[in-house]
Amino acid sequence: MAPPRGEVLQGTLDLIVLQTLHAMGPLHGYGIAQRVQQVSEDLLKLNQGTLYPALLRLEQRGWITSKWGASENNRKAKFYSLTRTGRKQLLAETKSWERMTALMTRLLSGTEGA
Amino acid sequence: MELLRIFGARLRGLFRKQRLEQDLSTELQAHLEMLVEENIRRGMNATEAGHAARREFGGVEQTKELYREQRGLPFLDTLAQDVRYGLRMLRKSPGLTAVAVLTLALGIGANTAIFSVMEAVLLRPLPFPHPEQLAMVWENVHLPHYQNDQNTPAPGNFADWKKGNTTFSGMAAIGYRSWNLTGTGEPVRIEGEAFSADIFSVLQTYPMLGHAFTAEKDRSGAAHVALLGYGLWANRFAADPNMIGRAIRLDEESYTVIGVMPQGFRFPDPDDQLYVPLALTEEQLANHDSHFLRVVGRLNPGVTLPKAQSEMEVIAQHLTSQYPNSNTGVGVRLISLQDQRAGNMRRPLLMLSGVAGLLLLMVCANVANLLLARASVRGRELAIRSVLGASRARVLRQLLVESLLLSFLGGALGLAFAFWGINVLRGYAPAEQNLAEVHLNTLVGAFNLGVSLVAGLIFGLFPAFQSARGEVVGKLKEGGRESASIGRVRARGLLVVVEMALGVIVLIGAGLLLRSFVRLEQIPLGFRPDNVLTVRVILRGPRYSGLPERTAFYRQAVQRMQSLPGVRSAGGISFLPLTMQGRTTGIAVEGQPPPAPGQVPFADFRSVSPGYFATMGILLLQGRDFSWDDAPQSPFVVIVSQTMARNFWPHGDAIGKRIKLGGVNSGAPWVTVVGIASDVHQLELIGVPRPAMYLPASQDAGTGDTLRDWVIRASGDPTTVASAVRSAVWAIDPTLPISRIQTMESVRSSYLGPQQFNLTLVALFGALALILAGAGLYGVAAYSVAQRRREIGIRVAMGAQANDVLRLVLGYGTKLAVLGLAVGSLAALVLTRLVSTLLYGVSEHDPLTFAGVAVLLASVAVIASYIPARRAMRVDPLVALRCE
Repeated sequence: MAPPRGEVLQGTLDLIVLQTLHAMGPLHGYGIAQRVQQVSEDLLKLNQGTLYPALLRLEQRGWITSKWGASENNRKAKFYSLTRTGRKQLLAETKSWERMTALMTRLLSGTEGA
Repeated sequence: MELLRIFGARLRGLFRKQRLEQDLSTELQAHLEMLVEENIRRGMNATEAGHAARREFGGVEQTKELYREQRGLPFLDTLAQDVRYGLRMLRKSPGLTAVAVLTLALGIGANTAIFSVMEAVLLRPLPFPHPEQLAMVWENVHLPHYQNDQNTPAPGNFADWKKGNTTFSGMAAIGYRSWNLTGTGEPVRIEGEAFSADIFSVLQTYPMLGHAFTAEKDRSGAAHVALLGYGLWANRFAADPNMIGRAIRLDEESYTVIGVMPQGFRFPDPDDQLYVPLALTEEQLANHDSHFLRVVGRLNPGVTLPKAQSEMEVIAQHLTSQYPNSNTGVGVRLISLQDQRAGNMRRPLLMLSGVAGLLLLMVCANVANLLLARASVRGRELAIRSVLGASRARVLRQLLVESLLLSFLGGALGLAFAFWGINVLRGYAPAEQNLAEVHLNTLVGAFNLGVSLVAGLIFGLFPAFQSARGEVVGKLKEGGRESASIGRVRARGLLVVVEMALGVIVLIGAGLLLRSFVRLEQIPLGFRPDNVLTVRVILRGPRYSGLPERTAFYRQAVQRMQSLPGVRSAGGISFLPLTMQGRTTGIAVEGQPPPAPGQVPFADFRSVSPGYFATMGILLLQGRDFSWDDAPQSPFVVIVSQTMARNFWPHGDAIGKRIKLGGVNSGAPWVTVVGIASDVHQLELIGVPRPAMYLPASQDAGTGDTLRDWVIRASGDPTTVASAVRSAVWAIDPTLPISRIQTMESVRSSYLGPQQFNLTLVALFGALALILAGAGLYGVAAYSVAQRRREIGIRVAMGAQANDVLRLVLGYGTKLAVLGLAVGSLAALVLTRLVSTLLYGVSEHDPLTFAGVAVLLASVAVIASYIPARRAMRVDPLVALRCE
């Protein structure tokens, strides 16, 4: 079930979604997709459909919950929100991401200098 | 924890599929619509907006598929797919499926049937509370002339063991009994036991109706009471609930029924029908000389068998120093009741299950071979699947699922075979191998499933790996037969070698058992069983309490039987040879110094009527037969066996010498040797005949014996005189039950029954093994011919003769067979050690058996590869070259 090559790495997408929900509060799938696209300024080319399996995965892990509700246009939509474990997970993943990027930055600048 | 929750969520996903599908559609639809709205807001027209939205969203169906994979358990989903597909594949090649399922059913069925016997005999807990605490207590006798580690204890030893131990919570004695039951209906002979009153608390089993014996009833001189076995109560007394308190007539005496034992109660013998108090006298309880009881005890909670054994050994040593004359060399041996039940069936059963296991491995090899052959046909299909994106694991799984389908189908059919087989086994099994309790139950079912699973994995994995390997491109090109098949031919060859080797082991086992059975059959019996009928008539009750009355009956019986048409002669004996029953006594020989403690000579003894020797064809080597003139008032006489004469009077002067039963100090009269009879295997066929003596039933030199078994020699088929013999007995006394009407030949064959039974099963397995080995080799040889058609065609075109082709194919088959024979023989050299205790008169490395099996299998191999070789010889080079 690894994502097809050339798309966003699975862990990265998870982190993005968690962060989005953390920042924006409960959102439906469309909202999340829009937000991601907006923030990434279209750098991240996301097949919006692939978002849904990720949402389900996060829900199965208990990091987010979902609830049916009405959208702005009064359309029936599923709203996702962060749970407490999700918040903790976000914190942990953010930290490990920062460590990782720091490491990568150091490594890559080293390469350049050589 | 987390994994568990994910699994739970996914599992739920499996079951609320429809609802979740709807939700998914709604959610995705909403997303798309929102995208469209957004696009319209940006100024596109409706059609454009729709297209753009779909582009942005990506494939809706792909998303759904990804979502589903995440939602459910894809493993289970695809498993269902694999099963459906597998079933379709099996249906598509019905021939292969039928052959595979049938051979698997034979293999799994054989294993299931043998296991069901093992379950009943070795594994199933005994039907008593805390059965692990129950043990039989035997005397362990080690004397220069007599060894027996399961000797029936003397009552004095039982009493002292019981008093002295601290490891048993209770100990009870059992004495064998049998009666003539008269009064209602035809007189019948029933067997049963005399129990000491403790038996109920030891077994923790009590009558289902009425009550058990009390200690007062278990005293000599107490009023006669009896407990009915369930079978007797149900059959003879129509399960009458008012039987309690009624009187029944046993041996012409009245017994009050005080209870009925529960239905499953079969202790100690399955044939027991009635139980009375043992009521040992004070005198008996002090007797350490006559050994006739069976003793069962219950260990205190937490006490192990070895611990109890060591305590009992100390007690036995005390008894030896206390009673040196009777207890020298008499130890004690505890055997758990569970082991006692398994008795001497354990080893044969383990052997049979081993052979059945080997047979199943052969079946697996054969089916694996079939699957490999099919794999070459399916190579292309598998290649297409992997090109279309099926991972190697996925293809492997598909193939394994197909194998497991085959093995479970085979297992199910095997269960039916086992059910049928158990019924057949029950009919043929000798009485001593009590198979009445054998049936299919949950444990047997679980075993069947387990074996099916393991078999499926064994025969499935090998071909699956073979097929999933190999590169795809070759297979896609032109079917890729030639290139892909070389490894497969080699794999199939390997399987056949393995199969041959297993077949060698099975056949050598069968051969060894056959050879030892033949040896057993060849042992001279010392009597001629042909044309001899035997019946049992036991005189009981006050009318026959005196020797003159009994003698009168004996004399009349012999006369009446002898004068029947078609009867040559007749006679009676106390215990028939080879029925595992008899009596032994210490003796004193006149003129020889009194023996040291533990050195008293022993001899078997039998009471007989005149005519017994002639009827049984036992030769009188010296002296005379008994006659009716050997009466109580005339001198006491004895006829001794050849071995006894040689042991006690080595100078050949036995006639006229005198001996006394029971030892120097016994009150028995001296008896004079008047004849020497040839040796007879009285108790067992194997081993040297023991010293034996015969006493006339018309005298009583201290035996207290009565005649029980009658032998009648007919001029032709002995069964034809059976009803006349019955009438002759009833003409003397119509109240006497007549039982065990059988030919002497069948007495002998039932003695060899267990061996014959084992042999029959192993021979059956051996025959199957032979067929499997032949079929396996044939399959491979035929396959290689088919594969090499083109090569053979070229060879023929280049001038090869028919003989060259024949040699080519035969050579291949023979090479495999020889390899298999070598491997199998080597393995058999090691493995036959496991069955050495089941063999008689033949070495476990018997060269004749090994050579015979080799020749047999080699001939089968030649025949199996000759048939395809013939086909190869007829290959037309033109056709062969053109066809590919």
